[in-house]
Amino acid sequence: MTEARAAKAPPRKLSSKDWFGKASAGLLLGLAIALGVSGLLPRLGVGTVGYNATSGQFMMWLIAPVWAGVLSFCFLFGSGLRAWVGLGLAAAAVWGGLLVLGGVRL
Amino acid sequence: MKVRTDIVRMYIDIHGWVGIVSGLALFIAFFAGAITMFEEPLQRWASPPTRLAPPPAIEQTPLLVAKVLEAHPQAARSHDIILNTSAAAPARVMWSDPRGGDEHAERLTHYASLTADGSLQVIERGPSPVAQFIDVLHQQVGLPLEHEQAMPIMGAIALLYAIAIVSGVVALLPSLVKDLFALRFGHNVKRMWLDVHNLLGVFSLPFHLIMALTSVVFAFHDQFYDLQAKAFPAFHADAQAAPGPAPTGQPLPPAEIVRRVKAAAPGFEPVAMTYGRSRDGVATLRVRGTDPRYGLRSPTAGIVSVDPYSGRLVGTDYMPGMQDGWSAAITSFFALHFGNFGGPAVRWAYFFLGLAGAALFYTGNLLWVESRRKRERKAGAVSQTRSTRVLASLTVGVPLGCVAGIAATLAAAKPMADQATAGFHSAIYYLVFLAFVAWSLVRGAPKAGVELTAATALSLMLIPAASLAAGPSWFGDGALVLVDLVAVALAAALVAAIGPTRRRIRTGPTDSVWSDPSSQAGAA
Repeated sequence: MTEARAAKAPPRKLSSKDWFGKASAGLLLGLAIALGVSGLLPRLGVGTVGYNATSGQFMMWLIAPVWAGVLSFCFLFGSGLRAWVGLGLAAAAVWGGLLVLGGVRL
Repeated sequence: MKVRTDIVRMYIDIHGWVGIVSGLALFIAFFAGAITMFEEPLQRWASPPTRLAPPPAIEQTPLLVAKVLEAHPQAARSHDIILNTSAAAPARVMWSDPRGGDEHAERLTHYASLTADGSLQVIERGPSPVAQFIDVLHQQVGLPLEHEQAMPIMGAIALLYAIAIVSGVVALLPSLVKDLFALRFGHNVKRMWLDVHNLLGVFSLPFHLIMALTSVVFAFHDQFYDLQAKAFPAFHADAQAAPGPAPTGQPLPPAEIVRRVKAAAPGFEPVAMTYGRSRDGVATLRVRGTDPRYGLRSPTAGIVSVDPYSGRLVGTDYMPGMQDGWSAAITSFFALHFGNFGGPAVRWAYFFLGLAGAALFYTGNLLWVESRRKRERKAGAVSQTRSTRVLASLTVGVPLGCVAGIAATLAAAKPMADQATAGFHSAIYYLVFLAFVAWSLVRGAPKAGVELTAATALSLMLIPAASLAAGPSWFGDGALVLVDLVAVALAAALVAAIGPTRRRIRTGPTDSVWSDPSSQAGAA
């Protein structure tokens, strides 16, 4: 690719080339985010955790759409690195919130 | 709708790769799943007339239970009372215990009745295992593995499937309005398959989203709960309250329980009752039943815990129409996967949606193979690479092998009758399936496409043939003839496909994996 064409192209052109970096971030951090959300919502007063109550079962179910959603849309990050940083920050926010609210076992 | 072209192109790439990795497994899951919509009638179709004495009346059931508990005290731990017996559930009373006393061993089920002279009859010969085999094949996306090994693989396929749905929608968004209702059956065969693929995909999108997300949970719920239990101290805090003091007196007879449950829950039709004992020895009772006004928690039934001494409903988390918002939401996830709401109409709709799903994955594979041909030709290849040929062969062999294998093993239920076991049914299925795949790899996709389509149609015709040979005594219910009619309809559809397949092989582009040079030389 010539430099002139590269300059004309939009700054972050997405392609499937960097799929492994993005998909691995989506798979691992997506699960971390989903798990964190399923623990965070009960701390905020929505539902519970644990399979004995159906509201706890609901929170377990919530993991699937959040995880699958992150995994499906993680490709919109500009690169694998950006995906790891962006989703890492999101996971840190969720788990940080849990930590502050005392909902996590240390 | 406008989407940046680089995003569309990226998602088209992703759609192709996740599709090709998961497509064949999903075909098996959807075809076997569509059939599983009728697991109960299929089990009646496949089960030989029972040797068990006719079930005693529900009022006589306490006598039968007393005789069972006297002769088989281990049944006190748990036994079922079936309220409307059929070929699929022939005994009024049944229970299962581990073979040879080992708790983790395979369980052996016993079926009990009273003979004409009032003595106890217990047999171990149950209804046909073939419907359950097809259900498990569906759950395990066709993998002959232990459940624990198959589930993570199924879960991975389900995640790929979720990505495929999102990427497919994104890829289609820019041309959605233009392409949706266009079915271009013209010279460009790839265009035709793409139009069909898009149409099926868009119109069953909600169905596919439900299937993908529920399957992720079905695969990974143990792991999800384990992770939650490890991470969140609140996990075990909400354990169920300890049961109150053990009640005194005699449990009510089943007929009275049924009366009281029906009075407390009008519209709920009890079909079976499970008596058991909790860990601290308190008698427990769960009643399963149907209510066509609601979705159901298990594939065919809602469940309510009942106090066996008073008939009071004590646990309504899974009771149709008596659930709180959380429970009703959970039940709706199960019900939307199982298609168990709204009666037979919804089951038939799910059956066709399942078949349409199988067709979606099949057309997806065809498109992948075809795109690859064009890409390789652009890259300078004059003939198809070996990997494309292998993939084309698998695209023919796996779906047809699955359909033929299921047909053959289902048909075999009748000649095998009392000798049928899950092992035999599994062996027949995989023998046919692997033979089809091997044949397709050896003969190549074009020849195998014609030959295996005909062979699959023949396999399907084994189903009505088996019914004719077995005779009318197997048809306790005349509606079961629908099983045979559906098999004939599928066979007819396959026969109709043979002609166009032949034509494609003779007159299609010669560098295609679907082209057979020898037949073209012959035609010229």
